Amino acid sequence: MHDPIVTFEQVTKSYDGRTRVVEALDLRLARGEFLTMLGPSGSGKTTTLMMLAGFEDPTSGTITLEGKKLNHVPAHRRGIGMVFQNYALFPHMTVAENLVFPLQMHGVPKAEIEPKVKRALEMVRLPHLRDRKPTQLSGGQQQRVAVARALVYGPKLVLMDEPLGALDKQLREELQLEIKHLHEELGVTIVYVTHDQSEALTMSDRIAVFHHGRVQQLATPAELYERPANAFVASFIGENNRFNGTLAARDGTACRVRLSGGEEVAAAIEADLAVGAPVVLSVRPERVAIGAHVSADNCFAAELLEVIYLGDHCKLRLRVAGSEAFIAKVPAGDPATIAPRGTPLTVAWPAQACRAIPPLD
Amino acid sequence: MAISRNNLLAAGLIAPLFVVVVASFIVPLLVTLYTAIGNPEVRQTLPLTTGALRDWNGEGLPPEAAFAAVIAELAQAQEGQAIGQLSRRLNFEQTGLRTLLLKTARAKETLAAPYRESLVALDTRWGDTELWQLLKRNTGTLTPLFLLRSLDLTLTPAGSVAQAPKEDAVFLPLFARTFVISFWVTVLCVVIGYPVAYTLSTLSQRAANIGMALVLVPFWTSILVRTTAWFILLQREGPVNALLRGLSIVDEPVTMIFTRFAVYVAMVHVLLPFVVLPLYSVMKGLDPVYLRAAASLGAPPWQRFLRVYLPMTMPGVAAGGLMVFMLSVGFYITPALVGGPNDQMVSYFIAFFTNQTINWGMAAALACLLLLMTGILVGVARLVVPGFRLGSVSP
Ligand SMILES: Nc1ncnc2c1ncn2[C@@H]1O[C@H](COP(=O)(O)OP(=O)(O)O)[C@@H](O)[C@H]1O
Ligand SMILES: [Mg+2]
Repeated sequence: MHDPIVTFEQVTKSYDGRTRVVEALDLRLARGEFLTMLGPSGSGKTTTLMMLAGFEDPTSGTITLEGKKLNHVPAHRRGIGMVFQNYALFPHMTVAENLVFPLQMHGVPKAEIEPKVKRALEMVRLPHLRDRKPTQLSGGQQQRVAVARALVYGPKLVLMDEPLGALDKQLREELQLEIKHLHEELGVTIVYVTHDQSEALTMSDRIAVFHHGRVQQLATPAELYERPANAFVASFIGENNRFNGTLAARDGTACRVRLSGGEEVAAAIEADLAVGAPVVLSVRPERVAIGAHVSADNCFAAELLEVIYLGDHCKLRLRVAGSEAFIAKVPAGDPATIAPRGTPLTVAWPAQACRAIPPLD
Repeated sequence: MAISRNNLLAAGLIAPLFVVVVASFIVPLLVTLYTAIGNPEVRQTLPLTTGALRDWNGEGLPPEAAFAAVIAELAQAQEGQAIGQLSRRLNFEQTGLRTLLLKTARAKETLAAPYRESLVALDTRWGDTELWQLLKRNTGTLTPLFLLRSLDLTLTPAGSVAQAPKEDAVFLPLFARTFVISFWVTVLCVVIGYPVAYTLSTLSQRAANIGMALVLVPFWTSILVRTTAWFILLQREGPVNALLRGLSIVDEPVTMIFTRFAVYVAMVHVLLPFVVLPLYSVMKGLDPVYLRAAASLGAPPWQRFLRVYLPMTMPGVAAGGLMVFMLSVGFYITPALVGGPNDQMVSYFIAFFTNQTINWGMAAALACLLLLMTGILVGVARLVVPGFRLGSVSP
C-alpha cells in the first residue's frame, strides 16, 4: 500500500486517563477501499471513528489524512463525510435543504448546487421526496437521505457508524447492497462500523476486528473466515466448534494437537506457537462430513443429540470428543437428519479445515 | 359497556379540574366581558323613566310622565344609595351630570307639577334635548361606550362614533406603550437568557443544578420585594449611583429611578427565569449529534449555530418569549413603583379605574381589549416565527 489515504500510528485513546478505550492502533487505509470495523459493543469502534472525524482527540499517536497530520484540524476542515446511526438529518430542513447545506458550506457555486442535489437524490432513488421534512420519511428513506447528504459534496472519505442498526433485517440487507454499489460507482473510500458480522462480510473489502480497543485481525472477509488469527476472531465471525488442547507436534504449517481427552487431531497452524503451548482448535460446522464411511485426516465417533431444522439445511448437535455442543451443518434430506436421537455417527474433517489458534488471553 | 364505564370514570376524575377551569377562568372572563359592555345603571335605578322614554322619538322634549318619573326615582335612589352608581355612570358619559342628578334628587320637595316646567326651572339642562337623548340611549342593556373610550373614541349625543377629545385620548398610546415595553422586555430577556441557558446546558449536572438554583433564587422572594430592591438600588443616592460616582464615571448622580430604564431593568430581572427555563430544557434535549453532523458537512462553528443550533432551539425561544411577553403585558407593580408617569402600562389604568374611580366598565373594557390585542399579536407571531410551529426538536 504505497499511497494510503488514512494512517493511524500508535493511536491510543483514554477518556478517564486510566482505561484505554483504543490501544496502540496501527491502521492503513487504502484509497477507494471499503473497510469495516467490526467488533462487539464497547470495543472502541465509535471512538476510533470519532478521532478520525475530528470529534475526539487521540490521547497519543498520530492520524494522517492524505499524508497530512490531522491533530488539531477541526472536524469541519477535514472534508470527511459522515453517516450516523440515527441519521441526524436536520429536522427543520426539507430533504433538499439537507442536501444543499453541505454544498453551501463547501462554497459550491449557486448554479451547480441544484444539479448536484438532483443527482444525489436520484442516486438514492428518492427524487420525489425532495420537499418532505425528515420526520415524514420512513427509517430507510431517512438513512438514504443521510447517505446522499454525506456524499453530495464529493468527499474522498466517508465514515458510517452503524448506519443500518436501527432498521429491520430486510431493509438492512437491501441498503447494504445499495451502499456497496454506491461505493463501487463513486470510488469513494468508506470506513464502516458495525457489530453485525454478516453485514461486515457482505460489504467489505477488508475487515478490522476490534476487541478491547485493539485490532485483533485485519484481513479480507474470506481470509478472516477461513483463517482467523485467534480464538476471538474465530468465535466472533461465523459459527465454529472449538476444542481446547495443547500443541503436540509441529511441522511448518501442519501440526498435531492433543485434546484434553487424549485424542490427537491433525490441524493447520500459522500462529507463532511452540510445541507444548495451549491452543484452541476451530472447526467450521459446514466443513464437517458425516457418515459411516467417510475418511479424512480426522475421524471421530459421534452421537446424535439433536436435529435443528433450518429450511435449506439442518444443524446436527453431536457429542464429539467429550463436547456436547459440536455442531455439524448438513443439507436438508441428509439421512442423518431423520436418524433417531442417540444414533452413533462418524464425523470427519480435513486437517486444513481445522485451525490451531492461540487461545483468548 | 366496559368502555363506557371507563369513560364515565375518566370524566368523573377530570370533572373537578373542569369545574376549576370553568370557575376560575371562563366565568371571570365572561363576567369581565359583560362588565365591559353591560349598562344596567339607568334601567335598574330609573325603571319608570326608562318606560316613559321608550315611546319618545327623540325630538323636542319627552312627555311629562318622563319628567315626573325621573324626579321620583332620583329621590328614591338617593334614599337607597343607588344614586352614587348612577351619577358616576352618567358623569362618565358627560362631565357635570353628577351634580345635576344630585341636585335634582335633593330638590324633590320643592318641585311641583307640571314637572317639565319646574325641572327646567331648577336647571336649564333638563330642557336640553341632548340630555334626554343621552338618558334614552342608556336605557339599553348594552353600551359600546367603554370599549370606544378604551380606543380613544366616543359617542356624540346623536349617537354616532367620533374621536374622543384630546385630553381623554390616552388609551391608544397606552396600549402602544404597553406592547412596546413588553416587546423590548421580551427581546432583552431572550438575548440575555439565551447564553445563560446555553452555558447551563453545557455544564456538568452538579454545576448546572447550582446555576439553575441561582437563576431561580429571585423566585423565592415576591415581585414586590424584588421591585423594591431595584427602587433602592437605582435611586438618586443609591448604591448604583454611588458606584458610578466612586469610579468617576459620572460627576452628578444619574436619574435612573422613575424612568423607562428602571422599568426595563426591573422587569427583565423579574422575568428572566421564564425564558431561561424552557430554553434550558430544549437545549438539554438537543442531541449533539446534529452539531457533529453539521461539522462533518463542513459547517464552521458560527454556521453550526446559525443554521442548526438556533433553529433547533427556536421552540424554546418561542415558548420562553411568549411567556415573558404575556406576563409583561399584564405587569403592574414594577412600572408603578420604579417607572415615571409616562412609563405606566395598561394594568395601571385597570387598577386605577377599579380602585380610584370605581369605573368597572372601563377597567373591564381595557382588560378585554388587552386580552384581544395580545391574542392577535400572539397569533401573528405564530405565523411569522418558525419555532412556534416546529413542534418537536428531535425526530
Ligand atoms: N465520551 C465518552 N466518555 C467516556 N467514556 C466513553 C465515551 N465514549 C465512549 N466511552 C467508553 O469507551 C468504550 C468504547 O466505546 P465506543 O467507542 O463507543 O465502542 P463501540 O462503538 O465499539 O461500541 C466504552 O466502554 C464506552 O463506555
Ligand atoms: Mg458505537
